[in-house]
Formats: sequence, structure tokens, C-alpha cells
Amino acid sequence: MELFALPLVFALIALVAPKSKVNYVGLIGAVVSMVVSFIHVANFSPDQYVSLFAPDFMLSFGLTFKMGYDGIGLFMVVLTNVITTLILLSNLNREIAHNRAFNALVLLMQFGLLGVFTARDGIMFYIFWELTLVPIFLISYWYGSADRKKPLMKFFIYTFVGSLAMLLSFMALGTYSSSFAYEDLLAVQLTAKTAFWVMCGFFLAFAIKIPLFPFHTWQPDTYTVSPMAGTMLLSALMLKMALYGMVRWMIPIAPEAMDTLSCLVITLGMIGVVYAAVIAIKQSDIKRLFAFASISHVGLIAAGIMLFNKDALAGAFIQIANHSLVALGLFLAADILERRMGTRNMYEMGGVAKLAPKFGFWFAAVAFASVSVPLTSGFIGEFLLIKGLYNYSWIVGLVAGTTLVLGAVYTLRAYQISMFGAPKAEAFSDLTWNEMLTFFIIMLIILVLGIYPQAIIDFVGPSLDLTIESVKGAKVIVQ
Amino acid sequence: MDALIVIFVSGIVAMFMAMTHKPILVLATALIGLSVGIGLMVNQWYNPYLLFDYNGLAFGRGEVIYSVAAMTFSLLIIAGGYSYFKRETEHTGEYISLILFSLTGALCMIGYTDLFMFFIGLEILSIPMYVLAGSKKKNLQSSEAGLKYFFTGAFATGILLFGTAWVYGATGTFDLRELSNILAEGTANGPLLFVGILMMMASFLFKVGAAPFHFWAPDVYSGSPNIVTGYMASVVKMAGLYAFLKLFTYVFAPVSDLWSGALFGMIVLTMFVGNLSALRQTKFKRLLAYSSISNAGYALMAPMIISDASLFNLWIYLVGYGFAVIALIVISLIVNDESDDIESYKGIGRKNPWIGFVLVLSVLSLAGVPPLAGFFGKYMVFSSAFATYPILVILAVINSGIGVFYYLRFVMVALSSEDVEQAPVLKPCVLQWGVLAICALGLLLSGYITL
Repeated sequence: MELFALPLVFALIALVAPKSKVNYVGLIGAVVSMVVSFIHVANFSPDQYVSLFAPDFMLSFGLTFKMGYDGIGLFMVVLTNVITTLILLSNLNREIAHNRAFNALVLLMQFGLLGVFTARDGIMFYIFWELTLVPIFLISYWYGSADRKKPLMKFFIYTFVGSLAMLLSFMALGTYSSSFAYEDLLAVQLTAKTAFWVMCGFFLAFAIKIPLFPFHTWQPDTYTVSPMAGTMLLSALMLKMALYGMVRWMIPIAPEAMDTLSCLVITLGMIGVVYAAVIAIKQSDIKRLFAFASISHVGLIAAGIMLFNKDALAGAFIQIANHSLVALGLFLAADILERRMGTRNMYEMGGVAKLAPKFGFWFAAVAFASVSVPLTSGFIGEFLLIKGLYNYSWIVGLVAGTTLVLGAVYTLRAYQISMFGAPKAEAFSDLTWNEMLTFFIIMLIILVLGIYPQAIIDFVGPSLDLTIESVKGAKVIVQ
Repeated sequence: MDALIVIFVSGIVAMFMAMTHKPILVLATALIGLSVGIGLMVNQWYNPYLLFDYNGLAFGRGEVIYSVAAMTFSLLIIAGGYSYFKRETEHTGEYISLILFSLTGALCMIGYTDLFMFFIGLEILSIPMYVLAGSKKKNLQSSEAGLKYFFTGAFATGILLFGTAWVYGATGTFDLRELSNILAEGTANGPLLFVGILMMMASFLFKVGAAPFHFWAPDVYSGSPNIVTGYMASVVKMAGLYAFLKLFTYVFAPVSDLWSGALFGMIVLTMFVGNLSALRQTKFKRLLAYSSISNAGYALMAPMIISDASLFNLWIYLVGYGFAVIALIVISLIVNDESDDIESYKGIGRKNPWIGFVLVLSVLSLAGVPPLAGFFGKYMVFSSAFATYPILVILAVINSGIGVFYYLRFVMVALSSEDVEQAPVLKPCVLQWGVLAICALGLLLSGYITL
């Protein structure tokens, strides 16, 4: 219970904390939640299911309030807590962190995310899923750049409408099931036709949030106008909800439609990989560039998840962790550049590496992690995903492989243009201690996971086996 | 039943209390009367009995929950609007007692078991509303609202009576129980019944402001004093929809194929008309009016489903809606801007975070964002309709998507961080704080009520 209640408590404390110290209150809140989740990890063996909350009453329409986690859930919980801590840490010295509302909203967002990852009831999942939309919207609306209104409106309506499609799917499932508890929903056997529509509903919600091509149009604008913390929350955590949702809800609930839809999703993912990468190469706005890079990377993960075999899924989870960390590092670097150069245009930057060697080093490290060089976690994750896609079809594997090449092109090009060459600024103050610490932790985790990826595979493996079995065991009812 | 008498008597007492020229006494009378009424009604839940041996009114469990909600809303409205009522000391008593009389009518409309009683209840509800709508006597818009409401309302009442007469002609009874027996036997005269039911439906839809009988709603909502608008949107709608549910879902159920097709069409029309018209509104109360039209559309999906659960689903829906509307209306009273522009709400949420919090809660609840009451209401109404009318539910969900657009725009204006300096510092009185707090709690918790 304390696992997901703590952020809420700290959010309330942050609302009344003195303004000069509120940034520390937020950070302490995140750190405490992180430590608590580590304690949960220490007491957890990967093949068990831990129930956090299971009241014996339910609402008249079947809402059971069940919460709990298995390996996958706990993995996402830890990821959320670590990333939230890093986000608050990297913002610690900025003026944004001295707002009570900002800290409370980030912690509220964390609460919503933890709810999403521990919900064991369809409607609970939906409730938390929507709950996360409010804080991220307010963070971007209150602290974003001046031209933020239109993109944010688009973002909210886009994702809300997508979620409504998911709600329709849950409604349809509810007519077959006695309650919305996860086990009851799994037990529902659908006809191929119903399963198709149910899966489409889920897919629309998740595809918009990930975002997959062609549902991505909200994403670059929203990422660009949001403040750094908002962009980090969106890219490092919010889209992971959708990837997690695919593994936990979409495929196990409507496995009958897998054969029909997996080809489509993989194709869309592949189009996204190439399309977004090509656009990223042509960008001059550094934040937009990383936004498109994000579309490219997650397209690969989504395609890998649709294969639904153990290697690809393990690769997907490694890549989920990796992408969260890398996105955090890249957007932090982009924001540092934007703040100190006063522009987002790469061509107006240059020579920063000379002026700020520490920043130059850490940015380079994150950029290499983003390109998935060996020894970083991205390498093993992308390798597993591409291997799976290659086994699915060699053409798909080939297209997926281009992400390595194209990724190197746009990332290194961005690094080269912005960091090398003649200095275009008089002075560029180097990293502050908290920014440095953020980069350090990011790189530390990336390297540890890159050297010993088995840690993640062992952690989520047993739960993945169970899920895969339940999907394989599903029989298609012929109408 | 005893609650009904208490409410009515407290209305009369409140009227005479006004002679003391101390508005606080009027308020106290009304609040005490309402609290006692709510207490008696809750008591009725545990001891269902009838005080009088008259079969025109009966308060079973369904009636009790609707009555309690209607009385609670009236209480919130009277408490929240007190600062407005007391501005004209000589009229305070009239405003408050008219609301109480109207509530008496609403309770009759909720508890009726006889079409005759229903008609009387409707009139008792409506006539004070006509007066209240025009109660800003020096304001042209308010006079227009009163007049418009009166004429169209009288017209709708005429059609209702006409329809009742046709139904009586087809079945030979006013009593709901006998009516449903006769309809179940299938001996009623088909064409007579058909015309009668359609006419009754038209006048019901008029009362709840559903398209194509919605034209009065925006003008009347925006012309009336804010607090009367709140009363119309919460209590009147609740009484009207429950009366509709009782008559159509439970009594006219055997002949549902006579009316469900027409209702289906009108729900679709109502949802689209309400939501699409709301998109371009710049005035707060007109926005609220169109939003209330679209909400009537969603709520009417509950009576479509012939099931015992419909009663509770509709109740949850209306409770969530009522709390949200009352909170918004009280906030509009606090802002107290004559022009009623949405722009005048600019930045108040940033400047006054607690008011902003309640405002965001209520607007998001109207939009159906979980975990607020509005979401649960919508979910329960939609999901119960899903098995029978999937197309209708899909259309309703699309409409919820459209609705987000204007709700979000309003939230964005209210929470805008630009021009925060010009935003007024609002000073609600203690009663209004109380009402806002109760509404916020209601929005957060009422979705979880189970009976």
C-alpha cells in the first residue's frame, strides 16, 4: 500500500512546504518512494505475485479495486521511481523546482504511473491511466513555452479520445465478464470478430500514447513546447505506460486477434522507425530531433512486443529501461543547450565541447548509449528485438536494422553540429553538481545493464513466461 | 411523504420570516427545513411506510435516493446563493421560499404513482421556476428568460396533458400500477397509446432540455440569475429524468418498441446538438446550457435500458452532474461578473488555487475524467447500454471526445498563468466555502457509492 500511496502523501506535503525548500521536499519524496520500491524488490522473488490491495467488495458494475504486482509490474514500478527521482534531481536548481505546484504535480504523476503499473483491474487501470494525463498537462501548460496552447490541446484531446476507445473495449469485455479483475478478464473467451474490435480499441489508445506512426502528430510539438521536466515525463515514463499496457492488457486479453493485428502493428512500427529517423536527420531544432528519435526507437519496441516471444519481450523490457534513461539524458542535454545558448537551433550552437568539457563528455556518453554501442544496455535490447523481427521475416529484420545506422547518423550529427566547431557563444557555464549527478547515474545504470542484462531478463522472465503461456493457450472460437 | 410536508411548511415559514427583514432567519428556516426533510427521507429508507393512505404518492427506495439528492442539491444551492439572495433584503424570503415550493413539486414528480399527481407535481415545480427565471426584474434578459420559459413551458404542459388524455383513452386509468398491468396484457388501443406516449415523451424531453425541444434552454439558462440556472440544471433535471425513467422504463416497458426508436434518434440528436453548439460558446452560462443539453442526452440513455440497474445508474450520473454544476455556479457567483464571459475567468485558478481546484474538478468531472463522479456516472450509463445499443454508446463516446474540447478550453482559461496579476482575488463567504468543499468531496467520492 505504501508503495503507491507515498508519492501522494509527499505531493500533499509539497503543497504546503515553504517555497524555498520545496524542491528538496519533492526530491526527498521521490527518493523515499524509490527506496521503498527497492525494499519491495529485495523481498521479491520473480515468480511470485504480490497483492497490494484486494478488498472483498466491488462496485455494482464490477470494479474490484485490485492492486498488486508481478515481475513486470515491479520492474516498471522501480523504473518509474528511479526516473522520477532523476527528473526532480536534474531540475533541482532551476526556478521551476521552486514551485509548490510543480513538485506536487510531478509526484502526482508518479502516483498515477505507479497505479497504472500495479492495477490488476481493468477499470482501475483506466482510472490511473487517465489520472496521469492531468498532471502532465498542467506541468506543460503552466511551465511550457509561449506557443504551447495549441499543441497541448491537441495532445490532450488526442490521448483522451484514444483512451475512450480503450474504455469502449473494457465496456465490451464487461458484458462477458462478472468483474473487471485481471483474472476474470483473462478468462473471457472472445470470438475472433469481437477480439478484433476489442484489440483495436486498446491499440488505438496505446498507439496514440506510444506514439506509433500515423498517430504521432501530436508528439513532436508537445515535446518541444513542454518544459524539460514535462518532456522527460512524457518520453521517459508516459509512453512506457502504453508499451506496458500492450504486454499486460492488450495482447493477453484479446490474444484471439493477434494473428490479424500483429502484422499491421509491426508494419506501422517499422514505418515509424525509418520515417521518424529520416525526419530526425533533417531537423535543426534539437528538441524536435530527439522527439523524432524517440518515435523511431519506440516503434521498434512496439513491433518487438507484437512478436510476443520471450526473447523479443525481454529485449523490449531492456529497451524500455534503456530508452527511458537515454531519453532523460538527451532531453537534459538539449535543455542545457537551449538554456545556455538561448536557442534550440543546432546551427546557432557550436564549440560547446571546448567551453564546457564536462558537459561535452557526458553528452557524448549519452549519445553513444542512444546509438546502442556495445556495453550499453541499448545494444543488447536492440539486438534481441532485431533478432526477433528477423526471425519473423527477414525483410522486417532488415528494416529494423536500419535503426542502428540511421540512429547513429542523427544522434552523432546533432552532437557534432552543436558541440564541435568554432564556439558561437562567449561563455558556457559547465554542469552544476545535480546535472552531473543525473548524468552519472544515468550512465551508471546504462553500463551496468549493458554488461549484465541478464538481471532484467531474470527479473521479468517468469512473469513473461506466464503471460506468454496464457496467450498461447487461448483458443480461437470459430463463429 | 412527511418530508414533503416539512419542505412545504418550511417554505411558508421562510416567506413569513422575511417580514422580520433579517435574511439570516429565512436562510436558517430553509436550511433547517431541508435538513429535517433529508433526515425524514433517510428515515423512510429504513422504515418504508406511508403516512397517508393516498395512492398518488409513494416513496420506495428509488424515490428516496432521488429525493435525498434533490433536497441536498437544493440545500447547497440555497446556501451557496445566500450572498446573492440577501442583496435584495425585501425579496430574500421570496427567492428562498419559491425554491422550496419548487422543490415540493420536484418531490411530487419523483414520488408520483399516478399521472394526475405527476401533472400536479410538474406544475408546482414549474410555476415558481417561471417566476425565478424572471426574478431580475430590471434586467431585460432575465425578463426574456422568464417569459420564454413560461410560454414554452406552458405549451409543453399542454402537450403533456393532451398526451396523458390519449393514454387514458387507450387504457382507462391514471394509476401507474394498473397502467403497467394493462400494457402488459396488451389490450390497450395501439394507435391511441402510440400518439399519447409520443406526446408525453416530447413534453418530458422539453423539460429536461433535450433536442429538438432544447431551444429555450440556452436563453433561459443565460438570462436567469445564476443560482436559478444551477437549480434548473441540477434539481429540475433530476426530477424530470427520474419521472421519465419511472414512467417509460418501468411502466411503458411492455410497449418499448413504440418509443425506443424515437428516443434513440432524439438522444443522438441531443448529444450532437449540445456538444457541437457548445464548441463555439464564449459565455459561461451558455456553455453550461449546451453542456447540460448534451448531458441530458447521455443521461437519457439510462431510461432506454429496461433494467432495475438503470435507476441507480441514472442516479449516480445525475449526482455527479449536479455536484459539478452547483460548484461551477457557486464559483460564477463568487466571480460575479455581469458580462458572463469565459474570458473573465482568466487566471482565477492560478490566483486562487483552492477555487481553481474545485473548478478543475467539476469541469473534468463533466468531461468524464476518472476518478471523478462524472466518469463513474458516464461509465455506468454507457456500459449498461452497451450490450443492447452498441452504436449509441459509440456515438456517445465520440461525443464525450468532442466535449473534452470545450471543457478543456475552459480549464485552460481558468488556469492560465498569463495575466495572473489582473485576475481578481476572490473572496467567497463561509457558506460558499462550505458548499464548494461539499461539492469537491461529492465529486471525488460519490462515484464509489454502492447500495
